[in-house]
Amino acid sequence: MNDLAMTPLPGTAKKATSVVVVEDDPASADVLQRRLQANGMKVAVGRDGGQGLALVREIIPDLVLLDVMLPDTDGYDVCLRIKSDGAIAHIPVIFLSARGEVVDKVRGLSCGAADYVTKPWNAAELLARIDAVLLQTRNARPPRLEPMAMRPERTRPMAAVSLRDAARRAAAEKLLAAQFDIAKDGSDAVDLVLVDEGAAPDAGLADAGTAVLVIARGSETPATEFARLDGDLSRHADLLVREMRLVRDMGAAADALITLATSLEAHDRFMMGHSERVAARSVSIAQVLGLDQVAIGTIRLGALLRDVGNAKLPPPIVVKAGELTPHEREAIERHPLLGEELLRHVSPLAPILPIVRWHHERLDGGGYPDHLTAEKIPLEVRIVSVADRFEALLVDRPDRPAVTEQEAVRILQGAVGRGELDPAAVAALAAQVRSAGNPEVEQ
Amino acid sequence: MKNIVLDSGSDTARRNEHRFLVNESVARLALRTSGTYLGLDRDDRPYQWSTTAYLDTYGWNVFRAAEAGKALQLRVREYHRTRPNEILAGGTVYLEMKDDSASTSFKERYEVPTMSLPSYLRGEQKMPRDKNGLVERAERTIADGVRPVVVTQYNRIAYSAPDGSMRITADHNLMYLAIPWVTNDVSSMPCRIGPVIAREPGVIIEVKWFEELPRWADELYSYIRDHMVNERPSKFVVAMRHLLGEKQVGLAT
Repeated sequence: MNDLAMTPLPGTAKKATSVVVVEDDPASADVLQRRLQANGMKVAVGRDGGQGLALVREIIPDLVLLDVMLPDTDGYDVCLRIKSDGAIAHIPVIFLSARGEVVDKVRGLSCGAADYVTKPWNAAELLARIDAVLLQTRNARPPRLEPMAMRPERTRPMAAVSLRDAARRAAAEKLLAAQFDIAKDGSDAVDLVLVDEGAAPDAGLADAGTAVLVIARGSETPATEFARLDGDLSRHADLLVREMRLVRDMGAAADALITLATSLEAHDRFMMGHSERVAARSVSIAQVLGLDQVAIGTIRLGALLRDVGNAKLPPPIVVKAGELTPHEREAIERHPLLGEELLRHVSPLAPILPIVRWHHERLDGGGYPDHLTAEKIPLEVRIVSVADRFEALLVDRPDRPAVTEQEAVRILQGAVGRGELDPAAVAALAAQVRSAGNPEVEQ
Repeated sequence: MKNIVLDSGSDTARRNEHRFLVNESVARLALRTSGTYLGLDRDDRPYQWSTTAYLDTYGWNVFRAAEAGKALQLRVREYHRTRPNEILAGGTVYLEMKDDSASTSFKERYEVPTMSLPSYLRGEQKMPRDKNGLVERAERTIADGVRPVVVTQYNRIAYSAPDGSMRITADHNLMYLAIPWVTNDVSSMPCRIGPVIAREPGVIIEVKWFEELPRWADELYSYIRDHMVNERPSKFVVAMRHLLGEKQVGLAT
């Protein structure tokens, strides 16, 4: 039997718990695998630490059962590698070991394991511990962000009235009819949902772009998302929907600006697709550094729009392949200011302005346009600067050939040594390149 | 506010300090032997996690001096039962100064409230002067602008003589990590650590003593030297070389 193959149970409709067992003794692994499978779990077995870690990264299981004594390393090391890798750190680990001294257990738990079971294990106890650990993990898991659904283009906004009382429902529909189409049963996400106080809109009717208006019972309307069933309802609802649309339109405006910024690159064969690559690389670095989703979103948009100021420069200078004259260099070094000027009045883009203005600054103060020094440069800006320089090194330029990712990392580490770039951002880049299968960068 | 006082972890004199990378079996033998003659250090719970953030200037003055064998290391140390993924989350930390030459060292440390740490890093608050002049030297480095640049984490088991004349430690699971620190301000705290930039494959044994090693310790020292993977520079130097992509020179194998 292939140890690396997952072995799903036939006929199991419910999603089975997936477990990676890291155990070098074939007999022990086999007994454990059979016992877990008999309890509806999908099991993959790694025979050493390296194989086990590879399985964990590939499968992203619900649980890892880990022996301490392994042929290539010890289980503590494997546990630490799991717990220090952001993509798999959430997976609970249970040690299964013949080492039963207190110091061994303390060491295992201090490495981040959820439990430590000594061999020979008792099946009932082991399964109970697995259930307890899985339950704790599920309860602790943060909610995932769902992508915003695409909504159809409509000539008139669509409203759904989810009021319990039939008379109030009919009254609301009548009040809204002048400005809204009223959704029938089975409609997709609508622009507006009316609900009773204390009620939530039906998940099928509302998505992240739906305005929710609560119909108050009394005469008071405590907040803007509350309204009464009176002649003012239609105006109130219309305002709320327009506000929601405005937010969506700002997103569309940002998309248009990104198109403008990236279209400039299309004329330069050395830079074509550069912004998308810088944005993707920036996001990877930010993820390795553990930044939150809001910061990652800002970084991505900032990376895409960082060079939009080039649109205000003469195209021959922007795409010039040879060495720039002092006058041309001076003009090019104005693009962060021009970019900021272009975006300054789009208020939803305010968070990305530091990236646009400062992505050519250096920690040692040798950058432009403001010659900022380290503490003045936000982490988001530092990340985009590193990604920008890294991606630029990977493509041929008129003045130098492209270098490999490993060589580019070494060049950036040199820039860290000279005090130009953020050390953690470059370390995160190196880790990301390394985990993408470039062991040459392994320190 | 809590008084900032010299901690018991400070040294009263310069002490010898040698570090070796050994495999697990050599480490276990060394610890069994040490446990026969020395007591398990009560201040170091077995396998507790030591997390140390090393400070340096933007021009890497501390690291360059350490490479030249004359550094005053500045570091912030914390202890936890399980491995934390951020620093400066607790109530107090140890701010340490260590004069670290090739084979001897001298250390002073102060327990400071975590929220006060940024003002020490900015040089606005001063530590009480020590009689060995480490604080004065540290203040000169701080005046150049320092910030946390790299972090080490490891599980330590320590054995110490009752009179403090010698100490043998074994550090397992040693990891070197980067730290995305932006500014010496409370807004930077707590600060998430990572990514891991390198790991030590074995165990780091440190033998530290003030005057002469007793006979058993001398024999153990020779045994470790004969069976080591290599002799190590300080964790700070190894970490910084990894961070800056520089060669790990000077490791005898």
